Amino acid sequence: MASLLINALRKIHISTPQIRSSFLSSSAVCSNTLTITKKDWKYPPQYTKPREVWIENVDTVEEKKLGLFELHPLVYAATPRIDIIQRNVIWQRKFRWVSWAHTKTRAEVRGGGKKPWPQKGQGRARHGSIRSPLFRGGGVAHGPRSGKTHFYMLPFHLRIHGLTSTLSAKLAQDDLHVVKDLELPSDEPEYLIDLIESRNWGPSVLIVDDTDYAPRNLTVASDSLPHVNIMPVYGLNVYSMLKHDTLILTQSAAEKIEERILHYLHSDTKKQQAQFKLDQV
Amino acid sequence: MEWLSSRVLKAFWRPSVNIVRTRYHAEKQQLVRRYGYEEKIWCGGLLPRSNGRSLPIPEYRPANPWTQRKALYGQNDYIDILGNKGLHPVKTLYTIPTWIKGVSGNEYHIMLRKKKMLATTSYPKLRPTKWKDLEKRLKYLYRRLNQKTKTGMSGN
Repeated sequence: MASLLINALRKIHISTPQIRSSFLSSSAVCSNTLTITKKDWKYPPQYTKPREVWIENVDTVEEKKLGLFELHPLVYAATPRIDIIQRNVIWQRKFRWVSWAHTKTRAEVRGGGKKPWPQKGQGRARHGSIRSPLFRGGGVAHGPRSGKTHFYMLPFHLRIHGLTSTLSAKLAQDDLHVVKDLELPSDEPEYLIDLIESRNWGPSVLIVDDTDYAPRNLTVASDSLPHVNIMPVYGLNVYSMLKHDTLILTQSAAEKIEERILHYLHSDTKKQQAQFKLDQV
Repeated sequence: MEWLSSRVLKAFWRPSVNIVRTRYHAEKQQLVRRYGYEEKIWCGGLLPRSNGRSLPIPEYRPANPWTQRKALYGQNDYIDILGNKGLHPVKTLYTIPTWIKGVSGNEYHIMLRKKKMLATTSYPKLRPTKWKDLEKRLKYLYRRLNQKTKTGMSGN
């Protein structure tokens, strides 16, 4: 325990001057490359300040700050409601779950039409079918019947709040990082491992990009790393965000997520949702 | 006379009688019951350990939590929020048959939907026994739900 604390203190001691020096050097030497973006949102935040994040690079193992970037507090600084996150995860696990366990009833098992022995006079118990649930090889009473669904839809806004809660929790815990792009200089997995190690990103990393096609170097490098996964923006979900320790968003992906969620937070979703109502029998 | 002498002898001479045992309890052999039958169940004691060999324990095979299926589980579940217009997570459940995709209900509801959706296909001709069982089960459930149980109770 004591050694852990000492280690942690040492790490803090070492890392703080590095950040400061890099910050000073970037602002002093190449102040024109450090882009600071103030954003004009369609729905500007009213009561809370926008969250600022660094834009990092991935083309070198050492971290370089490329700029400052603003995130909308309604999306990235919402109250992290753990209960909503939990409901979202439960929903994700349940809504696709169909249990195919199946047993045959006495009517479905082959045979068993004839009365096995007469009702009286044999000194044996009375039976009407050899497929009754009492018999070995007979049907099953109250067994599982195939096609048991656990489907339900979580209300639309709960799902939106699930996303914002998880994104906010990730950002608050320093597990959400924004990178400029995903262009790696080499396609070797060792480079990606070193990068993740030096940036102190978690063992498992979820990389989210705006496009469907990730750069070839990244796909080749992450192919042999099962805990480094790439997703498009529309694939992002609460379960994956919780399964992976660190969430890496590209700048455009962060903007896209923000834009989509802000749009639905400020619009009437009743009509939009009506078309997806299932016409059940 | 002879009778008298024997009476006198009997009255005065009494030899000591000892019971001599020829068969002792300790020497008795136990009766072997069910000769030739081998007991299949261990009844020797608490822990059956055979000649220093350990009990068979299944080999520990930890599951891989990062298979592709597990690593990408839940992808596209929020496609109606983050994706383009007209998409819905139910539409991306490609592995589930259409008649049960995005449906909730008891066995009767689901079977009724299955029957309705498969009646127009070649299913009744391709799987006649299954189709017969489906109709039979539906008939049974209809009677049970409508005639044997109170309204409001679940079917299963």
